Formats: sequence, C-alpha cells, structure tokens
Amino acid sequence: MIAKIVCYALNGLDGVPVEVETDVNKGIPSYEMVGLPDTAVKESKERVRSALKNSGLLFPVNRITINFAPADIKKEGASFDLAVAISLLKASEQLVGATTDGYVFLGELALSGDIRPINGILPILISAKSHGFSRFIIPADNAKEARFLSGAEIYPARTLTEVMRHLVGTLTIPPLQTAQYAPHTASGGGADLKFVKGQPVARRALEIAVAGGHNLLMVGPPGTGKTMLARCLPTVMPDLTFAEALEITKIHSIAGILGEEGIVTERPFRTPHHTATTVSLCGGGNQHVRPGEISLAHGGVLFLDELPEYKRSTLEALRQPLEDGVITVARAGGTFTYPARFMLCASMNPCPCGNYGARDKVCTCTPAEIRAYRKKISGPLLDRIDLQVEVDNISYDDLTAPEMCESSAQVKERVERVRAIQRNRFAAESISTNAEMGEREMARYCTLDAEGDKILRAAFERMNLSARARGRIIKVARTIADLDASEYIRPKHVFEAVSYRLFDKLG
Amino acid sequence: MRYSEEEKAYLWLCACTDLDASARIAVLREAHDPAALFHGFPVPHASEGKSRRDEAEKFLAALERKGYFALTLLSDDYPENLKNIPDPPLVLYGAGRRELLRAQKFCIVGSRRAPASAIATGKRMAEEISRHITIVTGLAEGGDSAAIAGAIPSGNLICVLPCGLDNCYPAAHASLKERVVKAGLLLSEYLPEEGTTKYAFYARNRLLAGLSDGVLVLAAGKRSGALITANRAAEYGRDVFAIPYGLGVEQGEGCNDLIKHGAHLLTEAEDVLTMYGYGGESRAEAQFTEEETRVISALKERGEAHLAELAEALQMRVFEVTAILSALELKGAVAKSGGNRYTAV
Repeated sequence: MIAKIVCYALNGLDGVPVEVETDVNKGIPSYEMVGLPDTAVKESKERVRSALKNSGLLFPVNRITINFAPADIKKEGASFDLAVAISLLKASEQLVGATTDGYVFLGELALSGDIRPINGILPILISAKSHGFSRFIIPADNAKEARFLSGAEIYPARTLTEVMRHLVGTLTIPPLQTAQYAPHTASGGGADLKFVKGQPVARRALEIAVAGGHNLLMVGPPGTGKTMLARCLPTVMPDLTFAEALEITKIHSIAGILGEEGIVTERPFRTPHHTATTVSLCGGGNQHVRPGEISLAHGGVLFLDELPEYKRSTLEALRQPLEDGVITVARAGGTFTYPARFMLCASMNPCPCGNYGARDKVCTCTPAEIRAYRKKISGPLLDRIDLQVEVDNISYDDLTAPEMCESSAQVKERVERVRAIQRNRFAAESISTNAEMGEREMARYCTLDAEGDKILRAAFERMNLSARARGRIIKVARTIADLDASEYIRPKHVFEAVSYRLFDKLG
Repeated sequence: MRYSEEEKAYLWLCACTDLDASARIAVLREAHDPAALFHGFPVPHASEGKSRRDEAEKFLAALERKGYFALTLLSDDYPENLKNIPDPPLVLYGAGRRELLRAQKFCIVGSRRAPASAIATGKRMAEEISRHITIVTGLAEGGDSAAIAGAIPSGNLICVLPCGLDNCYPAAHASLKERVVKAGLLLSEYLPEEGTTKYAFYARNRLLAGLSDGVLVLAAGKRSGALITANRAAEYGRDVFAIPYGLGVEQGEGCNDLIKHGAHLLTEAEDVLTMYGYGGESRAEAQFTEEETRVISALKERGEAHLAELAEALQMRVFEVTAILSALELKGAVAKSGGNRYTAV
C-alpha cells in the first residue's frame, strides 16, 4: 500500500509542501529514500526505526521505498522525521481508521519516540495556511511560536505515540489557543538614554535618525560612549506591529535564534564583530543557506562598531540591501530572498590614533594618515549614511539642560509622532519614511522656500557637495522639520541638516 | 611659444644633460654666450654625435604637446623677484596662466596640521588678498590648501611643486592640481617626469619665498616646513607675516616665534593690502541675524567652545545652536575644530 503524508521544506522564508510517499512491498528487506534528501534527511531512517521500536510500534520488515516529492528541490534537515514515521505506519497498515488527509506533520524524532522542536515553524505554518492546509501536528516545544497563527487547528504533540493515538481517535490533543500579540517596549538589555551622560549632539542625531529612518555614523575617540548610544537605538524606535513582529519572527525562526517568547517582540539589535565575513553578514552558506546578520537585523538595528576595521568588500556588499531592503542570495542549490530592511548604525574613531578632536589629548596622525583611514569607507557607502556626527569626550557634569538627561521613553514619544506624520504623508506612496524618498517624492514633499534654496546653493558651493549629498541633506532637513512640526522646510532645518554631514566637510 | 637660441641652449643644458645646478652655471660662465653650446662648446658628459639643437627642439615639442611652457632666466617674464635670490633656477616649467608671472605676488603657507580656525582664516585672507595680489603657495594639505581654496575663485594663484609637472605630491591632490592649472598657474623647476625628493621641498620653499614680496605663515609647529619658507623670505629681505596664537597651541608655536623675532603680526588681510598700497577698500561685513550675532559674541568671549557649553550660556537648545553655527560656518565666520567644538574666525 502506498501512503502519502504532507510535510514542509523551507525555501528562503517560504515553506514548500513536500509529499512523503511510502511504499511497502514484499521482497528482500530494504529501506531506500529517494527524491533529493540531504544527509540529515537520510539519517532519519535510523531515527525513525528506533523511534518506532521504542514507541512499541512495528518497523515493517519489507522492501520499503520512501519518496520525497517534488523530487527536484533539495530537502534539508531533520524536520521530515515525523512525516516519514507516520507514512511508514500508514503504509504498513498500523494506522487503521486514522485520517491523515489535510494534516501537515512537522517535527524531528528522538530515538525514544519523543518529538523535538524544529526551526522555521512559523514561516512554514504561514505558507501552509496560504496553501490551504488547516490542520497541523507540530512539536510541543514549538507551540509558543505557533500560537500566533490564527485560523488553523494546530496540535502540539510530545511523542510519536501521542500523534498516533490522536490520529486513530483514542486521544484528542487539545488544539493550540491563538495568542494575542502584545507589543513590548524594547528593554534594550537595560540600555536607556537616561543613562547616557550629555552627548546632546549625538542624542539629537539619534532621534532624527530613528524618526526619519535614516542611517547613522558616529565618529569619536575611544571610550566616549558610541556603543552605549547605539544600544539605545531600539529603545527609541516605535513598537513592533504584529505584521512586523511576524516577519522578524519568521527570519529568526529559520535561523534558529528565536528566544523563549516564541515571537520577537523587541526590535533586534545585531552587532556582528568586524571579523565578520560577507556571507555571515549577507546570508548564504554551502549546505544550509541561512539568513545573514543584515536579515536578522531586519526591522531593527545593525550596529557596526569600528567601521573601518571591516573588510571593504564586506561593507560594499551592504550597499544594495541598504537601498532595496532585501537581499537575494544566489547559490548553486537555489536562489533565496530574505528581507533586510534595517537601520545601519556605525561607529568609528576619527583617525588612526583616535585622538583627533579630543580635548585633552593630541592627535599624532598626519593628514595623509587620517585621509587613508577615512578612505577605508567608500564614498557610495558613506552616501547611504545620512547622518554623520561627532561624539566627543567632554565632561557634562556641570551642564544641566534638560535635553542632556532625557529618557528613551520621552524621545520615543516624539519619534512616534513624527512617524505618524510620515505615515500620513506617504499614505498614497509605497514608502513609509523620509529616508526612503526618491527624487519624485522629494520634489513633492520637500519644498524649500526661496531663502532655504539660496542657503542650500551656497552650502553646495562652499562645501563642494555632490548631487547625492544634496538629496541626503534635504531628506534629513525634512525629518528635522517634522520634529519641529513645521510643514515647510525652513533655513534653520537645512542648516542643522548640513551640520550632520561631517565627512563632506572634511573632504 | 617662440624661444630664442640662447633660451634653447639653456633648455638643452637643463633638460638634456645630467649636470647639477653649479656645473651648469660653470659651463655657462665659461661659454660666455649660451648659443656657443650649439656650436660644439665642450660640455662634460654630454652625449656626442647628436645635434644639440635638435635635442632641445625635440624636448620643447614634447613640452608643448603636454601643454606646458618653459621659462628661462633669459625670458622677459622671468620674475624679477626670483632673479634676486642667490640660486635662481635657470629654467622653470609651467602650466596655466603665464601672465601671472608678471603680477605682484604674496605667499601664504601653513603647516599640514593647521588647526581648523587657521584654515578658515587662511582661506578668507587668501580670498581677500588675491583680489589684488597673486597668491603663491604649495599643494599640500592644511595651510596650502586653505590658500588655494581662497584664491581659486579669482584665479590669481601660483602653486609651486616639489616635483615635475606630470606628477602630484601629495597624490591625493591630483584633482586639486587640475583645478589650479585651470584657474591659475602651476610652476616647477624639475623636468616634467621627475619625482620628488626630500631635498626638493627645501628647494621649493626657496622658490615660494623668492617669488613673493611677502610670506604669511598661517600655522606652524616648532619644526614645520612653513618656517623654512619664512626663514628664506627673511634672508631674501621679504616681509614675513604670522598669525598669533594663544599659549599651548602646538601648531602655533612656530608662528609666535616668528612674531617674537620680528615678523608682522597679522590679524586682517587688510594689513597686507594696505602695506602694498591697496588700502581704502573695507571688507564687506557679513550680514548676521540677531541670533547669529549672539552666538558669535558668546563664542568670541570664550575663544573656543563646545556646542553644549554655548547652548547653556545662551539658554538655547543644543540643536538650535547647531543650526546657527552651521549657518555661521557657511558664512566663514566660525570654524569647527573637532569634537563638536567651534572657534570664531
């Protein structure tokens, strides 16, 4: 008898249905798997054999052929174990009277017959639901992640026996209750702007960056709190919406880094070390294609500390995803697209010795050395970083202005307000933040008065700015005007925006 | 460009033999008439058999193909000032506006590590002085670049290279070099394809001083190369100017030393202009708004101040002060000195 059972494979962020067909024939006992299974899938033979035995079930002593269809996509990982076991049981007529139609089986088996959690449950469930499947058997340990999917019957199972009894009707596994998503204010690992001493310029830049979706570069001597400021970024970003949370969860689920919660409720903050390779940053890999750091930072912040220390080719690879918000990884085994809409925050020393601009130390670098150091970051990449600010090391002990000790919550309030303005503004467009504006949107929404235009022209002449830099300045000025609740971009907004183009000025 | 027989002989001697400067002069002294070189006058190590005149013509043709011109001590427009130094170059190569050679010249130099305020000041002064007097400088970062930036709009600018005209030192300034050729004049005493040597910077500095009526040092540490130019200027009897610095500013120690030893203390470009007889024209005062005036006077009170400090003193938000300072920076009234600190210029 031939048994057909449905399970799912992952292709990028999408699930692809895979039918496990099992045929048990008379003949010399053998156990073959066909249909492009990788090593981990082939190993399921042994896991399934032991799991059946240890669950008190029979492993048929016949000629067994298992086929994974469609045969042309590569199947990876251990998530097919449960489906293989069930199809074997069905083919060997140990599941009399059970209905398996309309079910999707997901899970890895332990030798004891226990069901182990798998990666990527949420993306699989979402895809399967859109393919018309509505009943799922999943590992109980994945229940937390799966409970955010509504409109499907999801049965979390602990053991193979449980699944079998559920199918024949001697036991009913209680279906999973759909959970309500509750947005979470990012704790940021305890980071909060109120713990940052002073740094009014960097604070302001941070606020503008988050409010308008701009990228940020902080330049300053070592030990001035650049990393701490960056860690505060997620704490001032707007709360995740359910749709955003689901998308981030999907990526984290595939990468297998999903926490206890089962869903990502805080904006990610990823800090890959500067030894990171292009593949680890962008995604890829030989056997298992995995999303890279930029995709794991989707919806959150990618923090690159000591920017010039990264390999230049690695940084250049960021240019395209920075522009498009997605990365397409092409490998011999297939092409995978992962979302990668992140905010880039980078930090660097002002010069090789680190003391350029420091108050109490003397910089010993020659201009040529400083130039060589800054040249490590290419113009096109720098062009994509709208805000470039200096973080200094003066002591702020005797300064008492309120803006020196604002908390993240206060800043976030303003950010939410400005984001709302942008949502209204771009309601008819396909973008949602000022930073994403193209030429067309800029012409429509960034009107400068005559004086502002004159200033900008003068600035361009003096600073010898490129046309691209002009666009960046206008976008930042737009965000500053929004923070100021001003419909028009006024000269002071332009001036402030110009002051955040540190690198253009240094030439 | 037409060159006389004598000039061609000079060129042949400088470009087609490998004698050093003193040996060339010795040959010329012996020969009395430079044209004699083309009539078999013996020259040590000169290659035999080739027509010397042909060699000179060939060299000139190559120069002209590159768009360069040659200037010999015998040329009409060889700068008088330069003839009055102990070791004027027999030949100079140039690219750009040759007529600037006849103009009155003033040299502005400064350390490569000149502070931001000195750069801004230098640029402004170069701009004002270059309206009447041609600015002479090098092609380095810092002080030189400030002078170039100020003088390029008027085009009254001469840059003297420590290497041949084909080359550029520092290499990163290749595009700046192109702009100088377009707007002003580029000079070198080396053959076009020659590279640079340590010694070439000393030699070049003697030309900077030699060409000019006066030398302004924008910024200089104790051992800055800008001081070499100033010392040469003093030796040649030219005026030396320096910008004063507060105590403890490393890049100002050289300037203060110069002043101590008798250099003119310079605070306004007008001082230079009046000295050379171009007075009477007051500098167009930049227009400041009320807020800008407040910020500037608060900044001047302190000399150099951090943004936050200014905001505190003026009872303004930091980002408001940022915007105003940015506006003032564009007007050339303040300079950013690193670490979010600003100075008035």
